[in-house]
Amino acid sequence: MLLKRICWVFILVIVASASLHAGPSKEAGKELFMANCAACHNKNMKDNLTGPALAGVEERWSAFPRKDLYAWVRNSQALIATGHPRANELWAKWKPTLMNNFPGLTDDQIESLILYIKEPGSGPVKDGPKVEEKKEASLPWVFIGLGGILLLLAFALMRIVDNLANVSRAKDGLPPIERSMYQVLTTKGAIAFLVFATVLIFGYKAVDNATRMGREQNYKPDQPINFSHKIHAGVNKIDCQYCHDTARRSKQSGIPGANTCMNCHSAVKKGTISGTSEITKIFASIGFDPITSKYMEGYDNWSDKQIEDLYKKWIGQEYMASNSLTSLDENGKDIVENQWEGIVKALKDDSNGKIQGPIEWTRVHNLPDHAYFNHAQHVTVGQVACQKCHGKVEEMDVVFQYSTLGMGWCINCHRETEVKFKDNDYYKQYERYHNELKSGKRDKVTVADIGGLECQKCHY
Amino acid sequence: MHHDNGIWVGSEDLMRDEAFAKSSQSEFSVENIDQTDGKWQASRRDFLKLMGFGLGAATIAASCEIPVKKAIPYVTKPDEIVPGVANYFASTFVNGSDYCPILVKTREGRPIKIEGNTLSTVTNGGTSARAQASVLSLYDTRRIQNAGTVKEGSVTKMDWAGLDREVKAKLATGGNIRIVTNSIFSPSGESAMREFVAQYPTASIISYDAVSSAALLEANEKCFGFNLFPKYKFDEAAVICSFGADFLGTWGNPVQQARDYTKGRKVAGAKTPKMSRHYQVEGYMSLTGSNADSRIQIRPSEMGAAISALYAELSGNGGGPKLNDKAASAIKKVAKDLQSARGKSIVVSGSNNVAEQIIVNKINDLLGNINSTIDFNGASFTHSGDERQVAKLIDEMNGGQVATILVWGANPAWELPNAEAFKAAFAKVGTRISLNTNLDETTLLCTHAAPTNHFLESWGDALPVAGKFSIIQPTIAPLFATRQAEHSLLVWCDSPNLNSSSEQPYYEYVKANWQKDYFPNQTKYLTPDAFWEMSLHDGVHEVPPHDITVSFDQAVSVDLNGVSQPSTSELEISFFETVNIGGGQYAHNPWLQEMPDPVTRTVWGNYLSIPVEWDGVNNIDGWMGLNDGDEVDVEVNGQKFKCSVVKNFGQTVGTVAIALGGGRQAGGCGVSHGVNVNAAMKQENGLTQYYGVDVKVTPTGTKDKHFACVQHHNSMGVTAMGKEEGKVINADEKSLGWKGFQGSLTDRSIIFQTNIKDLQKLEHKLEEFHEESTHLNSQTLYPDNIEYFGTGMKWGMYIDLNSCIGCGACQVACVSENNVPVVGKKEVARHHEMTWLRIDRYFYGDLENPKVVYQPMMCQHCDNAPCENVCPVNATNHSMEGLNQMAYNRCIGTRYCANNCPYKVRRFNWLDYTTADVWPSNEERVFHVEGENLPFYADNLVRMVLNPDVTVRTRGVIEKCSFCVQRIQEGKLTAKKESRAIQDNDVRTACQTACPTGAIVFGNTNNPESEVSKASKNAGALAYKVLEEINVRPGVNYSAKIHNANEELFS
Repeated sequence: MLLKRICWVFILVIVASASLHAGPSKEAGKELFMANCAACHNKNMKDNLTGPALAGVEERWSAFPRKDLYAWVRNSQALIATGHPRANELWAKWKPTLMNNFPGLTDDQIESLILYIKEPGSGPVKDGPKVEEKKEASLPWVFIGLGGILLLLAFALMRIVDNLANVSRAKDGLPPIERSMYQVLTTKGAIAFLVFATVLIFGYKAVDNATRMGREQNYKPDQPINFSHKIHAGVNKIDCQYCHDTARRSKQSGIPGANTCMNCHSAVKKGTISGTSEITKIFASIGFDPITSKYMEGYDNWSDKQIEDLYKKWIGQEYMASNSLTSLDENGKDIVENQWEGIVKALKDDSNGKIQGPIEWTRVHNLPDHAYFNHAQHVTVGQVACQKCHGKVEEMDVVFQYSTLGMGWCINCHRETEVKFKDNDYYKQYERYHNELKSGKRDKVTVADIGGLECQKCHY
Repeated sequence: MHHDNGIWVGSEDLMRDEAFAKSSQSEFSVENIDQTDGKWQASRRDFLKLMGFGLGAATIAASCEIPVKKAIPYVTKPDEIVPGVANYFASTFVNGSDYCPILVKTREGRPIKIEGNTLSTVTNGGTSARAQASVLSLYDTRRIQNAGTVKEGSVTKMDWAGLDREVKAKLATGGNIRIVTNSIFSPSGESAMREFVAQYPTASIISYDAVSSAALLEANEKCFGFNLFPKYKFDEAAVICSFGADFLGTWGNPVQQARDYTKGRKVAGAKTPKMSRHYQVEGYMSLTGSNADSRIQIRPSEMGAAISALYAELSGNGGGPKLNDKAASAIKKVAKDLQSARGKSIVVSGSNNVAEQIIVNKINDLLGNINSTIDFNGASFTHSGDERQVAKLIDEMNGGQVATILVWGANPAWELPNAEAFKAAFAKVGTRISLNTNLDETTLLCTHAAPTNHFLESWGDALPVAGKFSIIQPTIAPLFATRQAEHSLLVWCDSPNLNSSSEQPYYEYVKANWQKDYFPNQTKYLTPDAFWEMSLHDGVHEVPPHDITVSFDQAVSVDLNGVSQPSTSELEISFFETVNIGGGQYAHNPWLQEMPDPVTRTVWGNYLSIPVEWDGVNNIDGWMGLNDGDEVDVEVNGQKFKCSVVKNFGQTVGTVAIALGGGRQAGGCGVSHGVNVNAAMKQENGLTQYYGVDVKVTPTGTKDKHFACVQHHNSMGVTAMGKEEGKVINADEKSLGWKGFQGSLTDRSIIFQTNIKDLQKLEHKLEEFHEESTHLNSQTLYPDNIEYFGTGMKWGMYIDLNSCIGCGACQVACVSENNVPVVGKKEVARHHEMTWLRIDRYFYGDLENPKVVYQPMMCQHCDNAPCENVCPVNATNHSMEGLNQMAYNRCIGTRYCANNCPYKVRRFNWLDYTTADVWPSNEERVFHVEGENLPFYADNLVRMVLNPDVTVRTRGVIEKCSFCVQRIQEGKLTAKKESRAIQDNDVRTACQTACPTGAIVFGNTNNPESEVSKASKNAGALAYKVLEEINVRPGVNYSAKIHNANEELFS
């Protein structure tokens, strides 16, 4: 839930930045810090992490106009390019680590951040808007229950009819007829009903399965790196769009390059659970020497043996350090060997004969080629939370396909989802709808109302 | 001979040819359907077999596991690349004399589309078909992929260092060195050559062009002291007279000239309708001639006589050769017109005869056009070649005086009349190095290949016009182990200015040149780096040119005896360059091969254009009774070749014509298409003459089985002589049997045209027509959808037929943008061409000397679309934004929609052209480049050109123009993300951006302020919809064609 809230806050920050003017406050600063800065800057403000410790930032920039600091926060590289002395001093110290750009932050918001950085002590944090969890009634069970009750009723009625018939027969002095269950079930009506029901059910099932052909809901492939979204997005609360940064501006959400991983992992060299076994794969991909904390020159031309020596040394060293050994024991040797094999397996396959180079992830969400989906449309314009389609990724150790990604699923959402009609000037052109909303003739405008069900919105 | 509306497509519909009328009634051509070599016969058992197989295959396919797909991110993601978002880079398309500043659209690092660069004041964002298609040649599988030695038709690989050593050793041995190129107008390229020549003083540069302008350059040198192409201000000219100069298609700088020319001819929407008058004097119908207001037909050998006649009329000095009477009397009237527009007229000539060009200069001088409409301030450097240098080179080579020869970009062993002589002499040169991209005719004869990069992989610059610089920048790393020619030259001459240890040495070379030479001459940027970065960003850098005033050197005398002399031979031939294939340089580009020639509408090859003969009553026959596709033997200048004919209106009787560029012998897909006619041309005083006399044409009695001319494909209805009625009837109406009903198309409103002096009459006629149509269309029980379509956006288009010159840039742009497949000659012959946008060519006016109107025809996005109603699966339907949508994956291929489309714009994938499905057996019949095992689109290299935002269609589905819906969606999203109203420049279709003349306008018709709304509104009654009266409510407005013919010309 917290992550969702942060997502919402993040989105709100982007959207509301222009419209909300509440003046700087420490509370707002905390929210902003948690949403935007905490991934790289230490929360205690005193120690360096991926980015420098922030305490005293005001003093360090005091020699320059305040707007320089604003410019720095919004786009540090642009400020560096202008030759700003303070900016270049920082860059000389920290390069090649890039600071993310936050062009959407207003001056007030940055002031809020500075307030919070000054006194990071606790302060009341406003609750972000809660994402309503809709509990969907499981319809099939309702129907099965109803069916059962109806069936019982039918039997009861049959008994009553039979009994009444027997009563009237008794009046006429005739012996009562006792029908066995078998006799009841073999009547023409019952057989006809059974045949009808069977055809109906099998037909339905056949069509249902046919439309599901090629769908991969719950697809949960193994990945070359045992990357846990739960740890990153859940425990560490890294914003989704920190890594999948193209989701807001492109068709694709983007798989982060190894350099994005290195933003944090040049400092976080060992996993809390996996130790050296997984993170070393990133190092081996990009060519980072964790022992000296340097990127290696000419890594692309290294032989497998060179790479093996380096990372085995690293794994062994860390094993010894954590077990307070001075030399590798048998277990340690096994671990080094296994982890190295894991690295080779993850990074080298038939299509890619080298350890160096990109990490080949297995794609989880596969849309067919004839369906066009654009993340930016949904994330930036529609402001749909990632979790709406991808599920609670922050609770998944291994990501799986949460939704069907079927066309019916898309269409349903387009029918139900309201367009952000008032916030976006683009929609001003739909004058008729605006008039209807004003006059009360219409209470909402859904995606379907502006053509969201048309073929060529997704197929072209 | 009367004809409805006065327009026609070809002789078949003019003559009410019965067979043709019948074939036009059926939707799909059946004439070639039996060309199956007996393979496609199916019996009942085959049917059952296939059924069983299909069922089994479906079952297996259904139970197959879905393949695992990978998602591979960057290791270090470059900041400028966002997967899924296109990047545009400014660059410049240069090939020989062709020049076009462009923006290259790249997706994930792949160039996929060319757009015009609107910052250039030379082209103002216009493009040509050649520029549009150039992106495909980047992915040519026949490019040479590494340096090496050439032996027995292939390149044996060498590394560049090895090649450099070998070449340098050869160069160091001394002896004369020659570099053979086409015109070069790259400052840095020339600088590299200068350095080379400085290092090897025995070196010299031989430059020629496949289609020569040497005579014009020499005449300008003599008359004005500049051997340059002046800027012709067609926009300021009131009267234009062109003696065979195809200035809209191929002559000079066509993109720029076409834009200027149409500026002077936009009538619809103008406050005071006024247009230039354009005379064209020529033998065959060129693209420019087809756009002329009046054509004066002459035989090609009479060109000198015609020019002399005009000179005589203007100067009073007669004495030139005699011109035929009809043309001579017309020329007199032209002279009068020209005189009445002194200083506001232009006379140009495409001839390659120095005496003729001098007379033309003199004429312009007499008319006061020099420094007025003919301006050397904007003179262009794009043409500098002279084929006489090649003749000299041949002598040198024969004399053993050349030790080493370098060929860069040129193909002298093929594209010259004296190619055979060149070849023989070439063999005597010890070291022959080719810097060409493909293994073409000349490279095959070389000893070494040092393949240069494609221009999309290269750095460079260009100076096409004084003061207008532009930069070529790479948009992809070289796909193969190639190296750009300038770089090679600099390496071989050990240039001290080339930093070989740098990653991109030639980049630094160009940059240094710019910062050294051009930075000081401008004041806009303060630092050299800023200057370079911004020039690179803009692609162009423009400074005001020096003010040059020229005057005609009165010492130059007019030599009326030096002009071409009329021949008395029975038959003459013209050789001409086409807008798509050029002199053959573009023959290896499938997009250009499949783009129909605008005038003859033929594809994949060159065909002998023959005149049609009218008996004055009812019959129009091909010359000698020949028909389209009949094969003939042609003999001219002692050369024989065999080709097939195409009937062409406007071809002067007693002449034939054939395009250059057919019959390439090596290097790519143009091989074996068409016939090589280069050797049939003569050279006079060393200058190539693009005509021949004493021509013999003998029909062989055979027919080209795959004659591919799209002229009568997709015709929009036809009239014919009714047997029973004894008069002209409408064939559709007859077949429908509903005479008078508005659905049976009695008087087709496809083209409206008039002379500008009758403009008001046409406006009245059109007003009545609009009124009548509105009345007819309102007779319906169905409610209209004004409210529905009035909400939000509604997309529409406006096409100005007066601006459309038929150049075909839009057609190639559409193919490029929308992944439209190439189908090959055989398929086109079977009416299976897939182009979404076709340019219909209609004739009107005088039967023997007609005028032409071009009409770009694409899906009209009818709001009451007949195609939508008949689809049984609702695969085609309408959007509230007015788009006629096509959902490929829903289509089951009944083709009912195509049958019901009155505009015939729907295309069916008869075969698996793009190899999109999984069955290899379907690939057999689709287009292969000769000698390749894989179908054209199956090659992964070629597939790199595909636009990832457009579905690649599979076999068995209909497709058609989508109004570039992917661009609409992208534009809308941009506006939404920026939370603002959508603007015109958010959405522009591919055809619109490609158009050099601004004939196509697209936009939101619900917004009265949009360009398209304004254009349609300003055109007033002149804006009409094709088949407006049949209540399909199309979304495309056309404006009537207005010409400014001198009607007294031939009276």
